[in-house]
Amino acid sequence: MPSIKLPRHVGDAVVWLVLLTMPYWMQYVHGYTELASRIIVAGLAAMALNFLLGYTGVLSFGHAAYFGLGAYGVGMTLRYLVPSTGLGMLVGILVGTVAAALIGPLIARLRGVYFAMVTIAFGQVFYFIAFRWNSVTGGDDGLTGWRRLPIDFGIGTLDIAGNDKAFYYFALAIFALCVGAMALLLRSPFGRTLLAIRENERRARFLGIPVDRHIWMSWVISCFFVSVAGTLYALINNFVDPRALRWDQSGNFVIMAVLGGMRSFWGPLIGAAIFVALQDYVSSETENWMSFIGLFFVLVVLFFPRGILGMIRARRAA
Amino acid sequence: MTQLVLFNVFNGLIIGAFYALMALGLSLIMNLSGVINFAHGGFLAIGAYIAYMLMPYVGFWGGLLLAPVLTAAIGLVVERVLIRRLYGRDPLYSLLLTFGLAFMLEDGTRYIWGAQSLPYQVPAILTTPLSRDYFFLTGYRVFMVVLVALVVGALFVILNHTRLGMRIRAGTLDLETVSVLGVNVRLLRNLNFGLGIYLAGLAGVLAAGMLGLQPTIGSSLIMPSFVAIIVGGLGSLPGTLLGGLLIGVASGVTTVFVPSASEAVMYVMMGLVLLVRPRGLLGEEGRF
Amino acid sequence: MSLLEIRGLSKSFGSLVAVKEVSLAVEAGVFQAIIGPNGAGKSTVFNLISGLYRPTTGSIVFDGVDVTGLVPERRVARGMARTFQITEICPELTVGMNLCIGVEVAGGFRLRPWLSRAETAANVARVDELAAMVGLTDKIDRFVGELSHGDQRAVEIGMALALRPKLLLLDEPTAGMGDQETEVIAELMQRLHRTHGMTIVLIEHDMEIVFRLADRIAVLDRGAVLATGTPHEIAADEAVQAAYLGRQEA
Repeated sequence: MPSIKLPRHVGDAVVWLVLLTMPYWMQYVHGYTELASRIIVAGLAAMALNFLLGYTGVLSFGHAAYFGLGAYGVGMTLRYLVPSTGLGMLVGILVGTVAAALIGPLIARLRGVYFAMVTIAFGQVFYFIAFRWNSVTGGDDGLTGWRRLPIDFGIGTLDIAGNDKAFYYFALAIFALCVGAMALLLRSPFGRTLLAIRENERRARFLGIPVDRHIWMSWVISCFFVSVAGTLYALINNFVDPRALRWDQSGNFVIMAVLGGMRSFWGPLIGAAIFVALQDYVSSETENWMSFIGLFFVLVVLFFPRGILGMIRARRAA
Repeated sequence: MTQLVLFNVFNGLIIGAFYALMALGLSLIMNLSGVINFAHGGFLAIGAYIAYMLMPYVGFWGGLLLAPVLTAAIGLVVERVLIRRLYGRDPLYSLLLTFGLAFMLEDGTRYIWGAQSLPYQVPAILTTPLSRDYFFLTGYRVFMVVLVALVVGALFVILNHTRLGMRIRAGTLDLETVSVLGVNVRLLRNLNFGLGIYLAGLAGVLAAGMLGLQPTIGSSLIMPSFVAIIVGGLGSLPGTLLGGLLIGVASGVTTVFVPSASEAVMYVMMGLVLLVRPRGLLGEEGRF
Repeated sequence: MSLLEIRGLSKSFGSLVAVKEVSLAVEAGVFQAIIGPNGAGKSTVFNLISGLYRPTTGSIVFDGVDVTGLVPERRVARGMARTFQITEICPELTVGMNLCIGVEVAGGFRLRPWLSRAETAANVARVDELAAMVGLTDKIDRFVGELSHGDQRAVEIGMALALRPKLLLLDEPTAGMGDQETEVIAELMQRLHRTHGMTIVLIEHDMEIVFRLADRIAVLDRGAVLATGTPHEIAADEAVQAAYLGRQEA
């Protein structure tokens, strides 16, 4: 039976080894450093979503909203306020998290497909704002006129602007912090209450767990990490447009989590890697890459519902 | 000023009727099968494009008659081949599937017919204003309202006075019992899905006449349907109808005073409803 | 003062009256059984006591406090624990994990992002204690979804016990079990009552267990209380015999 096996040390070590060396071997698989950064960002977003989806059992389909808020936050800060990457990121994360915290109470009482529907609708609210408020956000053309700036740590400067590799390791460091925090939370008593909610909400309630409140907390935590991913996303491209907030972006995160395996910690990262690489390849080959992505969704749902890691586990248990 | 308000309210009512038509199809499918058909917008677009293709052969009226039926047929096949497999499972999967379908339908229509707007000819008799004072009462607009009213009326007649309708309604409340009573639940879900898609296809044909025909026609209309269902209430078809009309009219009225906010107002309404009455205006308790 | 007192409890679902003016007082340390034919409203009464349903009329006073308006989580926090007719456990987690969650919530750790070594050790010890109590020590690392029906019931009781409840509500714990499993559960209930002094309210159809273990019995029929009393009194009651016991084949 599939289960939450919290990461064993060997698996972890392999993953970190791969991530730490990615810029160096990427080229041999027709990749490039920027793609590696994209994988890290998508992986973080998918893992953040999975905090809610795979571990709490909550169907959120609107995560792109908070991803996008993080992205616009950093972009707008760098363009209009302060030429500081660090501060821009903080603003982006704050905006995304606060928005989630405020919307949370409106939806924490809902469940199942209804919850999913409402998260999609709220996602569209922010898409709509980004689209319409074009004096500030640049509308459909996107937010331009800014770029990521080297970070001055006092003791030295990290040139994430000029150096792709430097940016990659910067993103990886942020990723490591976030992922470490997520692992800590999931292994904690609080994390276990989320598992209980996922497994059997009624039983969770009758153990004395205030389910709606814990769902809200899980929601806010999840959106916090996804907005971090959003800030990094904007920084990779030096550009944000409303597409970062759209329903298809939300769907992408979900499919990444499902493809890799919702019930495992690293699953979403693996799903993200495959998805990002696939999308990169297909979009360079054809204009109709959206159809292929759609087909991909359908195939994953029909043939890989447990995801890659899920299938491996099932096979091992059998 | 009154002219302006009336114009916008009337416009809002038409748009609302539209949203309601689409939302009803979505709601039908969701209530019985628990599936959020994210591809609904795609089917709307297909209905419009099929009508466009048929136009040279059967004209506007033929297209109006046939296109929704053909779209529904496609819907029946999609349900049978794809969606049916996912009923017992976590609702996550059917939502992902319809997401994928939505991608394919939008991109597919763009591939086949191109990204530009295509001209959709509406018969001349419908485009002339009916009255000199109320210029906005074009035949097409009135026709649309009347048609939607007829279709919605027919839908409610079907649901309340035919065996199929009764089974759908019973199935919405308790599918297990209905199955135990000997009803072919598979067929029921299939037909229900087809009915929902028929409404989407019809909405598409009507939309083409009013908004013009492009591949994005579906995805631009699906969000208001979602909001209509959330506002009107989950599990309630009259609620969905009410929701659609309300957000249409609200948007129409807002256009008079704060034009840029007319699209946003439906989201504000959604927020208010969720705050005050999460199950929706006419929604049933315990549906979620 | 009774530990649990329900006064004039009624519950209607539309025009269907499931529970009609039920009143009952359960003293601390008493083993109270509720029996009655199917459809008599026994589970509904449990659902009202535990907070799953709101009563149409009536009140519930638990440990001196009116809890009628409280949500289930709050009643649990006040010392009420229950099991369900259809066992409610966490299938994809291990026995140990199921019990651990109960222990942690009861210990006030549900919001904690980490535990000290001492706290973890204490929790583990408590989980072991509970597993031993319900006879699942050798299955502690098995996934609950894979266990037998009886073992799943045992896990559920273990989870309820983890909460250190003042009142334990058990809804047909031996339903669908064979003789051996039934005996195990019966012995557990007896131990909890006699050795640990726990107040138990039990819904059961197995009359042998009811008459063996219960201090007091309440008989429900068609939503209303038919009779209450000691097992001896109930066995002798003619109305009860006519309505229920006479028809019982147990």
